[in-house]
Amino acid sequence: MNFKTWIKTITFYDILVGMKATMSHLLHYRSITLQYPHEKRTLPDNYRGMLALLRYDDGTEKCVGCDLCEAACPSRVIRVVSAEVPGEPTKRYSKEYYMDMTRCLFCGMCVDACPVDALGMTREFEWAVYDKRQLHLNKEQLLAIGDRSFPVREKQLELQHPNVAFFNVAFKNLPQKPV
Amino acid sequence: MTELSLRLAVTFAQIMAEMGIVVITIATMTYFERKVLGWMQDRMGPMEVGPYGILQPVADGIKLFFKEDITPAGANKAMFALAPILTVVTALIGFAVIPFGPNITMDVFGITVKPFVVSDINIGILYILAFASIGTYGIILGGWSSNSKYSLLGGLRAAAQVISYELNVGLAIVGVILLAGSLSIVEITEAQTGGFWHWFIWGARPDGFFPIHTQIFAFVVFVISAMAETNRIPFDLPEAESELVAGFMTEYSGMRFAFFVSAEYANMTLVSCVAASLFLGGWNAPYPGTIFGYVGLEQLAWVEHIAWFAAKVYFFLFVFVWIRATLPRLRYDQLMRFGWKVMLPIALANVIVTAIAVYFFPRG
Repeated sequence: MNFKTWIKTITFYDILVGMKATMSHLLHYRSITLQYPHEKRTLPDNYRGMLALLRYDDGTEKCVGCDLCEAACPSRVIRVVSAEVPGEPTKRYSKEYYMDMTRCLFCGMCVDACPVDALGMTREFEWAVYDKRQLHLNKEQLLAIGDRSFPVREKQLELQHPNVAFFNVAFKNLPQKPV
Repeated sequence: MTELSLRLAVTFAQIMAEMGIVVITIATMTYFERKVLGWMQDRMGPMEVGPYGILQPVADGIKLFFKEDITPAGANKAMFALAPILTVVTALIGFAVIPFGPNITMDVFGITVKPFVVSDINIGILYILAFASIGTYGIILGGWSSNSKYSLLGGLRAAAQVISYELNVGLAIVGVILLAGSLSIVEITEAQTGGFWHWFIWGARPDGFFPIHTQIFAFVVFVISAMAETNRIPFDLPEAESELVAGFMTEYSGMRFAFFVSAEYANMTLVSCVAASLFLGGWNAPYPGTIFGYVGLEQLAWVEHIAWFAAKVYFFLFVFVWIRATLPRLRYDQLMRFGWKVMLPIALANVIVTAIAVYFFPRG
């Protein structure tokens, strides 16, 4: 141990350096935390929050009951019971749609998989509940989340543009190709 | 009314006043510590209860008062109940000999009273050391009687740590006692009158400026050992959260837990008072006399003296928090090695050097 190290040891030099650091934080105090329930941080644009089912602007559900979201889900959150639309044999819808949000990891793969953009990720994240059964959501609850998070709805598929996907549109509603 | 009952009444009033001050200091310290610790770590500290969380101590007190009082199965019930009482009583009882104002006397209905010290006994510092040792029993009993392995380990650590560091506290004080020639804290403080160069940390003789009797090594040893004796970070091994849950307090809840916590803060305040009285001149201002005395308000000088004492005590309390924000916890063998192989030789050498210096250059 040379003389310089010895002096540093007996004067607690390293401890004093640390105390200087804490004191400078006290003097230049600027909090990096937020008072959470009162202040909330701004979420990033691509924030992936609570999942929701969406509707068209006339109030009909977008979901066509194709089960692709159920197949895409890595955590087996989604369960779809598909059925025909009564009176329209070519058109299907999801008779029942369940999401077990206790297992969801918010990867967004179901949203990517959906062919008709019937699923969306909202910016809601305050979903703490006292009973975890409350996180087993049915179709009405998911549609309600979509209604309050996406007030601007898309038009029916066949009314958007003639070149939009043709499948799953009732024959009587097929847009006419311009001749 | 006999003289004895009058004396009892006056002493009781003094004790009540002093306990009020100490309890308010403890409550303030719980808030102050969390706030300063938060600021040093770029957080805000308590913010919810009242403006800037100022009512947090009240809320904590109410919460702890109404919490369930749990006694673990297999605990020794009598010892389990005794331990927090022993700890908090011994922590508060030491304040009886602390003079927090000048040594003046006043007449109350014909009996002589010293208003700023409850009891000026001639072995004041010995009394504080004795009760600090008994306070350790509270920790050891609390750890042993809980019937929990974490508590027992915390109690064992506390026993070893507090006893070995108490030795250093005692030896660091010996130098001051040699200089003052008295064990009474009032007389030790009075021996440091007349400017900061007469404080025992510098130790100039009453007739000079040269710090021939400096106790700065004893001061450093005392502050570090006091930190260890009050189980503060970085010496908080008896209650190491990350290893022992809460050490000896693991099984305690409600008011008994509150007793342990307030005992810790009371001990902090007590060692701060002792350090201020012994090394930093107690109620003495760092300049000779008082400003009130110079402008002709001699009867108000006690206000200035009390303000200086409070400033010194709160400076020490701030240093306690500052150290806590800075340093991590020591390992157990480092703690013991530091106490026995570093602090003890310094304290012993300080005693010998001071004794020789006082012999060849006697004070006054």
